[in-house]
Amino acid sequence: MSHKRITYTVPRMGYTYAAFESFFQILGYDVIIPEPTNTETIKEGVSNSPEYMCFPFKILLGQFERVLEQNPDRYFKMVSLESYGPCRFGYYSPLYYKILKDKGFTNFEVVNVEGIYPPLYRGIPRFFKKLIKLTGWHTPWTVVKAFVIAGWKVYATEQLEKKLYYLIPREKVSGSTERIFNGAIEKIRHAPNKVKTIKKILNEELEKMDKNPHVERDDLPKIGLVGEAYILMDYGNNLDIEKKLAYMGVDVDRSLRVTNWTLDRLIKTKYHKAHMLEVNKGYLDFFIGGDGQESIMNTILYKKNGYDGVIQAQPFGCLPETAAKEILTKVSEDYDIPVLSLAFDEQTGEAGFVTRLEAFVDMIKSRRQIKADEKREESVTVKS
Amino acid sequence: MKIGIPRALYFYVYYPMWYGFFSSLGHEIKLSVPTNKEIINLGVSHSVDDICISVKVFHGHVKYLLDKKDVDFVFVPRIASEEKYKYTCPKLAALPDLMKSAFVSDTNRILTATFYTRQGEKPIVKAFEEIERQLGDSDEKIKMAVKMGIRYQKLAVKSLRSGHTFLDVVKNIRDLDSLIKKPVQKQRYTVALAGFPYDVYDTFTNGDVISKLEDSGVGIVTTDMLDPKVYKHYSKYMIKDLFWYQANAAAKGGMYYIDSPDIDGVISISSFNCGISSIYQKLLDLYSKEIGKPVMHIIVDEQTGDAGLATRIEAFIDLIRVKRGDGLVAQTNNLHGTEDGVHVRSL
Repeated sequence: MSHKRITYTVPRMGYTYAAFESFFQILGYDVIIPEPTNTETIKEGVSNSPEYMCFPFKILLGQFERVLEQNPDRYFKMVSLESYGPCRFGYYSPLYYKILKDKGFTNFEVVNVEGIYPPLYRGIPRFFKKLIKLTGWHTPWTVVKAFVIAGWKVYATEQLEKKLYYLIPREKVSGSTERIFNGAIEKIRHAPNKVKTIKKILNEELEKMDKNPHVERDDLPKIGLVGEAYILMDYGNNLDIEKKLAYMGVDVDRSLRVTNWTLDRLIKTKYHKAHMLEVNKGYLDFFIGGDGQESIMNTILYKKNGYDGVIQAQPFGCLPETAAKEILTKVSEDYDIPVLSLAFDEQTGEAGFVTRLEAFVDMIKSRRQIKADEKREESVTVKS
Repeated sequence: MKIGIPRALYFYVYYPMWYGFFSSLGHEIKLSVPTNKEIINLGVSHSVDDICISVKVFHGHVKYLLDKKDVDFVFVPRIASEEKYKYTCPKLAALPDLMKSAFVSDTNRILTATFYTRQGEKPIVKAFEEIERQLGDSDEKIKMAVKMGIRYQKLAVKSLRSGHTFLDVVKNIRDLDSLIKKPVQKQRYTVALAGFPYDVYDTFTNGDVISKLEDSGVGIVTTDMLDPKVYKHYSKYMIKDLFWYQANAAAKGGMYYIDSPDIDGVISISSFNCGISSIYQKLLDLYSKEIGKPVMHIIVDEQTGDAGLATRIEAFIDLIRVKRGDGLVAQTNNLHGTEDGVHVRSL
């Protein structure tokens, strides 16, 4: 162990960094959160990772490398939350370690936390060993408290986000809700570590956003977002797709959030799997890892809930999502719902991306118009 | 009945098993032709654009067989797992679903079963029973057929271990016993090919690396000739085993060949946009840096330019010669009569 000060660094994912930060602060460690994904981090990551590795890996490697470069006087524990499954996500931490060692960094270690995987007699001890390596020795009460506070912060940011994307297409002064939202996120981030205060701040901020002048309407086109979790949940990686769609006047919903992801994957696993198999019947009834099955399930569910279109966001060459993409073409035909697949990689230009989104939104609006006209004609004929 | 087997993906691993099974049931086997330009074009036009080339080629083979009207079923197995707790790539695990959504009008002609191999006989029997339900053969016949299938697979593995490539196995499938006895000629130089069997042996897609090497007097070995036991200890270097059997075999087999003194160099072959190979290629890169043995990566795609690949392989062979201290090309072998002995091979 080095004499340098131990600092934790975690992957930045959307607005949830606030939760991770307070988790480690409660345990009494320093935390450094990487900067949001930008050209610098992407450049750094791309130049050091294997060419066809998935885009999230490149981003994360870039983020970690920037953090190590900027703080040579600290000893880092890099937290990598991963799973062990058919997706490449399970092999991130050994590659971080090998690549960063090869680059000449010494002031770090990688702490990977993964689920329990078979054989169980090895899996369960391994899981607890990793957990202790992550948190260090603390009283169970502190660890539980840290988890609860982190969970509440994640929940609060998600509620705020939901409200934001609901209000943007309805607000009277463009950009006014976003300003309130940015302030609210900062407040949640720096909130004292008490559940009561977090709740209070959340309610206050939600009220403030609600009071922002807006027009209630329910005739907006609705688009659902499915795809790979990390691309979907981090606004830096998906070029702010949700905000862009919201400003185009679309009711946008994201299928994967940290809360429902944890609930489905870690707590209600059995129910989730059974539900998925039932919905996906005839399309994909086999576990392929990642979020491939979820993408197909959510597309079907969006159609059933009356959405007008679905956008699938995936990193270029993602293994489960490419498989899902091919099956989604059939789902799209069978269920009559437009699906746009967007692959993100280091060369994604913003202008071309916006054009594609606009074209998709226009198409959906005109489809709605056509359907509304047909309905009106039908009712006219019935009357005459 | 006539069963079509696409000559792609896991054909290059489990063909003997399927051959033994279907032929002892009395079904006729129709193999698709070896990959050619037309099949690649068929595959590219029937699949999504960012899937890997191996799966695209598989689409082409399936389409080729579905177009043949006398083929009753096209066999698209789902190889789910190849070792206990080791699975296959998501695209391969979803293969029958992919085929069904790509060829919507022919879904009932696709014969499929979920295989769990290298975990004893039970799961294999189960998989073949799944096929039986779709074909309608009797139980006793199936039992015999499964035994035959397993016997053929064992013989094939034996001949691979004795140094024959899988292409030889396919050629001599009727007489594997004599193939095992046939000795393999040893060349002065030996190059190891690391990669998934379907990338290494698909001679059209990978620009015929095997015969290019053999033409230049270089012997080859591949990673599927190795017994998994010999490279077990590399798990420690890899920190964590990869989740995919074939990727483990390629990575650890490659490392084993990097370490072994009678191998001159390692060429890893993978297909464009194959996500898994990006991991093992990086591992081989880092390992070869430590040991100091030449490693070359060839990534193939649907563009089939041959000249660039030939140049790269020639350069690699020259590198091996120089490392052995033989110089570029010995003057006695200098057929071209160039002064510096630069190896200019006419194609």
